Amino acid sequence: MPDTRPTVLFICHNHPSVRPGGAEAYALELHRHLVASGEVRSVFLAKGGPPLAPAGRVHLGTCVAPVDDRPDEYFFFTDDWNGAYDWTFGTIREDKRLYTKHMRAFLRAIQPDVVHFQHTMFFGYDILREVKNTCPDAAIVYTLHEFMPICHRQGQMLRKTDDTPCMQESPRRCNECFPEIDQQTFFLRKRFVQSHMQVVDRFIAPSEFLAQRYIDWGLPEEKVQVEEYGRTPPAGEASIQPRRHRDRFGFFGQLTPFKGLQVVLEAIIELHGSASAQQDPLLAALERAAAPEAPAGRRVRREEPEPRPHVRIHGANLDLQPGQFQNRIAELLERAGDSVTFIGAYDHDDLHAYMAEVDWVIIPSIWWENSPLVIQEAFHFGRPVIASDIGGMAEKVTNDVDGLHFRANDPTSLAATMRRAATEPGLWDRLRGGIRPVYRMDEHAQRLSGIYEELLHDRTPAHVG
Amino acid sequence: MTAPPPMSAEPRTATRRAPRGAVAAATNGAAPAGRIEALTFLGANFALALARGLPDPDRALRGWLIDEGRRQRLTVTTIAVAADGATTLLLLGGGRRSLVAPPTGGIELEQPGRRGVGEPVSVAQANVPPEQLGQRLRDEFDAAARARLQERILARVARSAGSLADASGPLAALHDATRDQLPRPEAGPSAACVAHVDGFWRVDHASYYVEGWAFDRKAQLRSLRLVTPEGRRVELLRNAFRYSRPDVCTHFSVPASERLGFIAFVELPEECASHDGWALQGELSDGSGFEVKAPPVVDQPLALRTTILNDLDLDDGDGLLRSAHLAPALTRLQRRLSESVEIELVDQHGIPPEDPEVTIVVPLYRRTEYLEHQLAQFVHDPEIRRADLIYVLDSPEEAARLRRLAGHLHDLYGVPFRLAILSANAGYSTANNLGASLARGRKLLLLNSDVLPAQPGWLSRMVDFYDAHPQVGALAPKLLYEDDSIQHAGLHFERNAADDGAGAGTWANEHFYKGLHRRFEPADVSRAVPAVTGACLLIDTELFRDLGGLRGIYVRGDYEDSDLCLRLREHEREAWYLADVELYHLEGQSYPTPERAAASRYNQWLHSDLWSAALSELEGVA
Repeated sequence: MPDTRPTVLFICHNHPSVRPGGAEAYALELHRHLVASGEVRSVFLAKGGPPLAPAGRVHLGTCVAPVDDRPDEYFFFTDDWNGAYDWTFGTIREDKRLYTKHMRAFLRAIQPDVVHFQHTMFFGYDILREVKNTCPDAAIVYTLHEFMPICHRQGQMLRKTDDTPCMQESPRRCNECFPEIDQQTFFLRKRFVQSHMQVVDRFIAPSEFLAQRYIDWGLPEEKVQVEEYGRTPPAGEASIQPRRHRDRFGFFGQLTPFKGLQVVLEAIIELHGSASAQQDPLLAALERAAAPEAPAGRRVRREEPEPRPHVRIHGANLDLQPGQFQNRIAELLERAGDSVTFIGAYDHDDLHAYMAEVDWVIIPSIWWENSPLVIQEAFHFGRPVIASDIGGMAEKVTNDVDGLHFRANDPTSLAATMRRAATEPGLWDRLRGGIRPVYRMDEHAQRLSGIYEELLHDRTPAHVG
Repeated sequence: MTAPPPMSAEPRTATRRAPRGAVAAATNGAAPAGRIEALTFLGANFALALARGLPDPDRALRGWLIDEGRRQRLTVTTIAVAADGATTLLLLGGGRRSLVAPPTGGIELEQPGRRGVGEPVSVAQANVPPEQLGQRLRDEFDAAARARLQERILARVARSAGSLADASGPLAALHDATRDQLPRPEAGPSAACVAHVDGFWRVDHASYYVEGWAFDRKAQLRSLRLVTPEGRRVELLRNAFRYSRPDVCTHFSVPASERLGFIAFVELPEECASHDGWALQGELSDGSGFEVKAPPVVDQPLALRTTILNDLDLDDGDGLLRSAHLAPALTRLQRRLSESVEIELVDQHGIPPEDPEVTIVVPLYRRTEYLEHQLAQFVHDPEIRRADLIYVLDSPEEAARLRRLAGHLHDLYGVPFRLAILSANAGYSTANNLGASLARGRKLLLLNSDVLPAQPGWLSRMVDFYDAHPQVGALAPKLLYEDDSIQHAGLHFERNAADDGAGAGTWANEHFYKGLHRRFEPADVSRAVPAVTGACLLIDTELFRDLGGLRGIYVRGDYEDSDLCLRLREHEREAWYLADVELYHLEGQSYPTPERAAASRYNQWLHSDLWSAALSELEGVA
């Protein structure tokens, strides 16, 4: 029986089995869900090899190889062109055969009806043009995970001048962040990227905030659709033990400067004072003696434990960060002393166990964020979220409903919020009650299938260009 | 039948006309009336003949070359007659046929009215090397006469194309033999009169650029001439530009204010192929003279152009250096450079459009990444796919790389275009003109490589406007910088009050509203303007060709566009600015190199010099 199902090709910058990452994990989940559902034929193409993996292309004459023995997941190796990848423009410069010969061959073999881009990083934006050339009747969908097409600072839209969030790109402002790149280059970059993005039929934006930034940047509004990430529920349960104080906080995420770990550490330091003071029993005794008398009629139970805010840090890749940042974190960790537990890298399958050890999840990113997967994971495990009050975080966490906001990049504000979180009676329970069910993958996949169908149905006869 | 000879003392003679094909013999029976004593070949086309005893040296002669039984007509020019009237120097020319040496027969001279002039001269016997002829000439002619006859020979030989190069060697040898060797002058600190050539450049086949100094302590120098190896003399110093050479002043212990240096642009009446053997000859008021060897001619046009541009700084307020020397030199140099460049090859990518309305010519010089950026925009515009798009590579050292890349880019974007590779760097105007020579479209759009459309559909809007307004000769749209401010909204002309390097009172091109906001209201009006930019210029192809394209006299790209627009006015066509079409022009923002800046100043001065009257009228000022 010939397979008449439509073929969906996912194109992604990494396969999660090589190196973990949020966008690629979601994308692979989506693909495998579609495979399991059987309604479409789904193929997943990830860029393989350096720089993310040491091992690159193995076979001469082809740029593809299957991922392990899966028939529907492939690596695409760009080894021969890695040196020529232009990070400013997002393209391979002089030699376009990556697109016009090798990608073309793969596309001709797969014959996708839908090409759903998760990323073009490491491939170059030209790949969009090549898909349009070779699959003129295919629907082209592009999920936007961050602001890389807009912002040269790793897609963060965070000003390099002072680490404040940026709402508006322009040749002048981008040049201010990157004085070594002139304004005309930024102009050319934008025109180049937008030229290739014109072939996309539908952009998927996981948050309203992100959608609006792209519309401001120049994507046609009618092409941008807001659609949240659908999630397969993580394995396991994170039990809730009764506790007097909900004073355990968890940070989950890559340990980059943009994720704001330094803000959490400074906040916890502020909450506790210096570690040495905590540990000195004489000083602690003196502090207690100096505490005001309890009002008459209330018995102070000395043995009743005070809230002791504690932060557990889960995340990888600290070793990949700039030395200055690593040093700063090391210094802050030392000052924070035993108010912080550094767990480091963790396996996603064990998430439930780690979530069980925390009451709150803090997402202190200093950049806008899009739709952090961590928020959905926290909500799945019934943990309210304390989030920076900007961008996608402020959108996905509703202050005083399912979490709390604090002023972005402000340790004092976070400290106050953490204090409130740890001490205010009934707050945690109320916020936990406000958590809505996490958007599920099956509903999401169905929504996307509907979009694919809609786009394929609307196909006008394709003309090149 | 010839006219009867004039009465003369000689008895009438009867002659028998030799039958064709046979060797003619003088059979008049009278005493030989003159004979050729010496014959020297000057290359293949000419020969000098020293004749003695011609009965009537003032009469024209006919000459014949007898070779293998055939008679070949020769032209005979009397070059000089010695004071005693007995010796005549003749120049024999083969016309279009070369004088095959040695002819098996001889050379016969004939004077109309007389049959034969003595015996036909056997070349084998009469053929002497130039040095020997020169010695004979020394016997018969004085120094001044020898100098003059040498120049007459040169002038005559030069009229026959290609002959001078051929004759150069013998002529130089002759000149060497016939001239008086003048002494080398004393050049020490106490010297009285001496000159020196520091730089000696060939501009083109018959003009040179000479730099040096001349010292004349007691104002004795009557003339200082440049002398070619073949003996052409050209007055050098009288019209040269003089400037200060403190180093020379110090050497001769004279005040630094003495302008001992000289720069001269020198034109010769005929070309000179030799690079060696040139000299300076000085003639003093007391009749004495000196000779100084000149260094070998340097023939490096691009290096010379840089030298000339640098010399602009030496000019004083009167501008004599540039008008009498630099501009003529640069004009000829530019012509030489542009004529020497041609299209080496053309690659066709994709299927050329049928019957295109517009040819788009885009010169590429070094910043070849703009090819990709333009194609990434053109891919969205069906009108561009239907246009005749031609890229012209003006930095041909990148040919291999760009030809490869062009193929890749065509494979990716699918926009058809031609890529023309030039044989050498030609400069903006020649690159455009050569691209235009390939044009198939009825209209021509000159487009800079750093111009990007804001959106598709701009080309047809320009064409429609052009067609709807027959008075328009050149049409250009609004051009924007990358920050959306105005880069171009039409050009006008202003006269500099202060000297900005090109000279006070020079006219300069100015952009209307440059730097102002894209929506600045006065810039949103389409209208006739004094001139428009060549960065995006639409013109009828025929009209462009009739005008001769862009003028190559400007150095390295500047003012060609306004020059074109001013020439259009002479054809009763106007330059128009089209406000509702917008493209981006990423005009190069780097500061110019000193050479580029010098070229700019020169171009501005040249443009102003050529158009001053028209500009005054156009801009309504005195």
